This record gives sequence, structure tokens and C-alpha cells, in this order.
Amino acid sequence: MANKSFWEGSKHYLCERDLAQSFHMARVLGMPLLIEGEPGTGKTELPIQYANDTNSELFVYPVGSKSNIEQFVARFDHVKYLRDSQIEVLNAQREEKGLKTSLSTGGRNPNNLADYVAKGPAAKAFSSPNSVLLIDEIDKAPREFPNDLLYALSHRKFVMPESGEILEISEEEMPAIVITSNREQELPTAFKGRCIYHYIQFPDADTMRLIIEKHFEKLDDKVINVALDIFYHLRTIGLERAPTTRELLNWLKYSKQFSSKEAIEKMEKLDGLGALVKTQTDLERVQRMILTSPEDFKKRSNPN
Amino acid sequence: MFEKLPETFRSHGLQADVRTLLLFRKAIDSNLVKTLGDAYQVLKAFVVKDPSSLGPYTKAYYEYFLNIDIHPGERLNDAIIRSESFRNWKEDYQAKNDDTENWTMDDWVDKFLSLVHLTQYDIKRVIDGKSIFDKDDPHLKDEISDGVEEDAKEHRLDTMADYSELSLEELLERMEQIADEQKSRHDGGSHWIGTGGISPYGHGGAAKGGIRKGGTGGGKLARKVLADPNFFPVDRDALINDNNVDAALASLKGIFEESAQDFLDVDKTIKEGLKRAGLFLPELTKKFDEKLQVILLIDNGGWSMTPYVRTIQELFKKMKTRFAQDLETYYFHNTIYDKVYKDPRRTKGVYLERLLKKDPNYKVFIIGDAAMAPYELSRLSVGSLKAIQDKFKKTVWLNPEPARYWNHTLTTNIIKQIFKMYPLTPRGIEKAVQHINKKTSK
Repeated sequence: MANKSFWEGSKHYLCERDLAQSFHMARVLGMPLLIEGEPGTGKTELPIQYANDTNSELFVYPVGSKSNIEQFVARFDHVKYLRDSQIEVLNAQREEKGLKTSLSTGGRNPNNLADYVAKGPAAKAFSSPNSVLLIDEIDKAPREFPNDLLYALSHRKFVMPESGEILEISEEEMPAIVITSNREQELPTAFKGRCIYHYIQFPDADTMRLIIEKHFEKLDDKVINVALDIFYHLRTIGLERAPTTRELLNWLKYSKQFSSKEAIEKMEKLDGLGALVKTQTDLERVQRMILTSPEDFKKRSNPN
Repeated sequence: MFEKLPETFRSHGLQADVRTLLLFRKAIDSNLVKTLGDAYQVLKAFVVKDPSSLGPYTKAYYEYFLNIDIHPGERLNDAIIRSESFRNWKEDYQAKNDDTENWTMDDWVDKFLSLVHLTQYDIKRVIDGKSIFDKDDPHLKDEISDGVEEDAKEHRLDTMADYSELSLEELLERMEQIADEQKSRHDGGSHWIGTGGISPYGHGGAAKGGIRKGGTGGGKLARKVLADPNFFPVDRDALINDNNVDAALASLKGIFEESAQDFLDVDKTIKEGLKRAGLFLPELTKKFDEKLQVILLIDNGGWSMTPYVRTIQELFKKMKTRFAQDLETYYFHNTIYDKVYKDPRRTKGVYLERLLKKDPNYKVFIIGDAAMAPYELSRLSVGSLKAIQDKFKKTVWLNPEPARYWNHTLTTNIIKQIFKMYPLTPRGIEKAVQHINKKTSK
């Protein structure tokens, strides 16, 4: 029986209740979980941490604009096949001429077509029970990809090209499939319909504090307070690209090398701003704000 | 079971059909649905497919399961207080619990919400709270630290056990019955939250002592969602399904672009191999991918275009799905002078010169009714239009106005001489696409 129990995060990963529930639901129903949300909110982390925590095998397929279903499932390596069959001919000729040495096919046998099937992450995941399959950033894919994928996933069965080998897995042992998307492109309705959908809300300050605690165990509360304050303030002023969890964590990582007092001072001066603010215009804007009303900024970042 | 459920969702502009019901049924079979809060979560995962449907979904859910009808723009709290279900539940709860004297209305609503959105995981968490508690879980500490008494825990265990003894059929029947009752009979009261005896928290059980302050996650979210304009966008027309417009667009052909992937060219390998008297060496060719670049220019100003805005939006959405990789949209008002705009409100201008610097392989769709005051088609604007046509050979003008009126409008006639003009209908689009796909002869 597969791991269908409720999983709500690990030591290093805070899985919000809603998300945990959707993920659980997806595993129980054997449907893929489609996660959308702002970049940097831990979409990709979920399956990685889950696999780590439950000691399951993880297979990742990063989607790109040239992704196709063959890369995802399996493709037949014609080139290798042709090369090896040629080598057989050559070897026969060599033998005829009395040459002792022969060329190697690397253990592959041209009579066994299965040797030439290059399995993609999907085929691998479906041949190892209870694994985790992550399909990352599906919104980068060409339009046909999600629909092809859908067909492949819903049958729980792959036929390998040329060799005709059939990979099949029972619903119980089906891998937990997680698909992430940044909403850069609208996915086909039919595709979404077959998935469990979850939109990650941006965490509020309380949740964020818990997330920080998961990452940095021994961080001074005061430092976190200051950091959170500045962080959420930056998010409200309408920057081109508002900082997200990832940026905040990086910023804190940077500040960790200093003592708490030093760190707070540095933070108030927005030292290491580059970790938080990612575009030139935003950077200029924030710097202008500090210059024009440093008091205001300080007040916000230091409520006591 | 729940035959009316998809209908309710659909009436709120959500996508739901018999498959939703089947899935819901499967979820119930798999023990995923044990409380009303579970139902909220499970159905949400099936029905809500983008953030902006969350608001309508929450509304539909309250309407169907709780008979709470939320007026547009109303706060969830007010809608709850107004409702019959809430009043009945409150009376009932008051009669059974005596520690409620000092409760404010907000406390009541909080309580109500935390019960409605209570999930089986909340209950389970309380039941094996002790063991999790020992495992040093800071998240949990926050939640149940405010006084979980031993006997209360026992009590919860009991109620949960009571509940799980009900057979599935019984449970479904009751759920259905209650939903029906609440729909038809306004004095039906809220069986879900209260005396029905089926709800695991019916006797103030599991949630007593506050599993979470101020409503559970779901309750908090529901409230936030209903107050947030982001979740109620003005334009929430669902993506239209594949129909003839899509088919017409599907025939758009792009230019081929080289990619990093090689593949075996079988024909060439055989040919070359034969030349070498049977020594076949793999011949590789680069794989070419189709790349489609589209610029969309939309006339979205003026009353004359208003009737067509909807159609255009639909088309626009289609295009977005199809050409997400390279689709640029600009807006203009009536005609193009020296600028087009990046946003529908036409505040962010882009100089035409910049547009004209783009790759000439872009296919340009101009959508507008071409009807304007004759003075607007000045030398400048005619020049701009001509420049576009000169630069982008594959440009068409799609006119939402029926073709039979075109000849009666002066400006349309002029524009028709600059661009190939087609009506904004599936057939028109198909013809436009055919025109665009034609090889340009120099």
C-alpha cells in the first residue's frame, strides 16, 4: 500500500494545512496535484521535501519551451541502435580477416530492442512504486505538451517505443505526481480538470515566521521582527517585482553571519538589499525612499 | 446525490459537471470527506482552477451547503449573521452551552466559521494531539496551547467515533437530505452545524476550546477571499472551449526555428549508406520547431467598439493560450498615430517606431471597427497604418462590424484599402489566417 497518509511538512519545510490537504487528496485519488502561485513560495520544494521526508525516490522533469512527451516518457535511441548494428557487421568482417580484437557495443545487444529505449522521468517513476514525480514549471511548455501529458498520466500505463514493453502500475502504487506552474500561460481547461488544483496564497507574517523558524533555528526574534517588517513593507509599496519567501530567506541567510545587534543595524540600513530587490528600477526606488524619508522607513522597521 | 451541485456552481460561472460529482463521490468513498470543512476543501480542489474562481466558489459553497446567500460586495460576516442557518445554529448552540453569555457577535461568527471549516484533520489533530505535541511541533503549539482539557479530548474522540460508525450510504443520504432541506425549507435549520447528530462537532465537541482562534484556515481564507477584489475580477469569463474560432486559429502557421536537439535523418542515412555500398552511418539533422510570433492590436476605445468588447476578449484569450510564448498585445483608440499602448487603459505608451523595429516575421492582427470621424484618419495616422502594413507583410484587420455595413462607412473604406479586412467571425478569421499563411510573393 502506498503512502497515502496525511503529510504536513517536515522539519525543514512548513506545508500549509490547505496545501497538505490538497496533496493528500491528490495522492488518495491518484490524481496529479497542480500547484500555482507566486514564484518563490515553495512550490517546487513540496515534492522534494516530501520525497526526502518519506524516503521515496524522486524523479524530476524540468519543463522547457522545447519539451515533448518523448523526453518525458521514453524515446528510442535510433542513433545508438544503428551504431551498434553497424558494429556487429564490422565485427563480423574483422573476424573474417582474422583480427582478434572486436569493437564493443557497451553491453547492449541489437537483438534486444529494450536496450535502446532511453527512459524519461515518467517511465522511471512508473516503474518504481510509490515514488514521487515532479513536473516543474509546466507553463513553459509548448501548448500540446499538457494535453499529451494528460493522456499519458491518466492511463497509468506506458508502451515503450519500438520494444513494445509495457510499463504499468497499480493505482495503489502510483507515484505522487506534483506539477508546478507560474501562470505564465493559461493551461488547457481539460488539463486542469484532471488535476487537483491548489493555489498557494502568499504566507502572512505569522506563517512566514514559522517558515523562517524552519530554516534558521537559532535566529534572534528581534532580527526576525525587523526583517519581516521591512519585508512586508517592501511588498506593499508596489515594486515591479515584489520580494518573495525565497528572497527573504536569502536575505536572512546573509544577515546570519553578523551578531543580532549588528544584523538589525544592517537591516535597517537595508544592507544586502540586492537579495531582496531584483530589478534596477525597484532598487532605485527603494533607495530614493530611504534617502527622502529615512525616519519613516526606520519607524516602520522598528515598531518598538 | 447532489444532483443540484454542479448547477449551483455553474450558476456562479464555475466549471462543474457530472465528472465533478463522480470525483466527489470517489473522494467520499476514499474517506476524504467527513465534515463540511472537508467538503469545502475537496470541492475546491475540483472546481477552482484559478485564483479568481475562489471567490465565486466560496459563494456557491455557502449558498448550496449552508443556504447562506452572499450579496455582491457584502462581507461574509454580515451575510452569515443575516442568515437563517446561523440563527438556528446559534439558538441551538446557546441552549446546549452555558458559557456563551459574554460572546460578541464576532465571537459567534468566528465560532460558526471554525465549525463550518473544521476538517477531519483538525479533529484528528486534536485526537492525537498529545503524541504530535511531544514531537516538538511549533506550528501545533500555537494552535492548541490555549487549554485543551483532558476530558474534552475524550469527548472529541467519542463524537468522532460516533460519526465514523455511520455507513457511507447513510452519510450520503443525510448530506443530500440536509442540503435539500436547507434549500427548500427555510425553517429547516442547519443540521450540518448543530443538532443533526451527524456532525462530529454537533455537541460543541471537537472545536470546543478553540482549535484555532478566529476560525480555521478555511474560514479565514473564505473571509479574506470575499472581501478581496482580486478574487472577484470584473472579467471572469471562462476560457471558451475548443470551437470553430479555435479551429480557425489552429491553422496559423509559424516560421521554423532551429533547436538544440538533433535527430536521426532516416532518409538521408539510407541514401548516403547506399552510396557507401551499404555502410550506414547515422546522419543527423537539426530539429526544427515551429515558432509563431503574433502582435495583436486592439481598438478598445469609444462607444462604437463597446458591443464587441466581449467577443474580442474571448478571441484574445484564445490567442493567449495558443501563442503564449510570443504574443504581444497593444491597444489603440480608433486609429494609430505615433503610439500604441501596452495596457487597456492606454496609459503606457509605446512609440510606433519601436513596434516597427520588431522582426518582420511577426503576424499582426488588428482588431477594430474602423469606424471613426473622418478627420481622425489624418495623414499621420494613414501613414502609421501604411508603415505597419509595409513592415509586417502578414497583417490583417479583423472587423467586428458585419461586412455588409463596411461600404457605408467612409473610414472603413479607406482602411480597407490599406489592409486586408475580414469580419470577426470564425469564417472571417479562417480566411484571415489563410491569407496570412500564403507565401508572400515579392
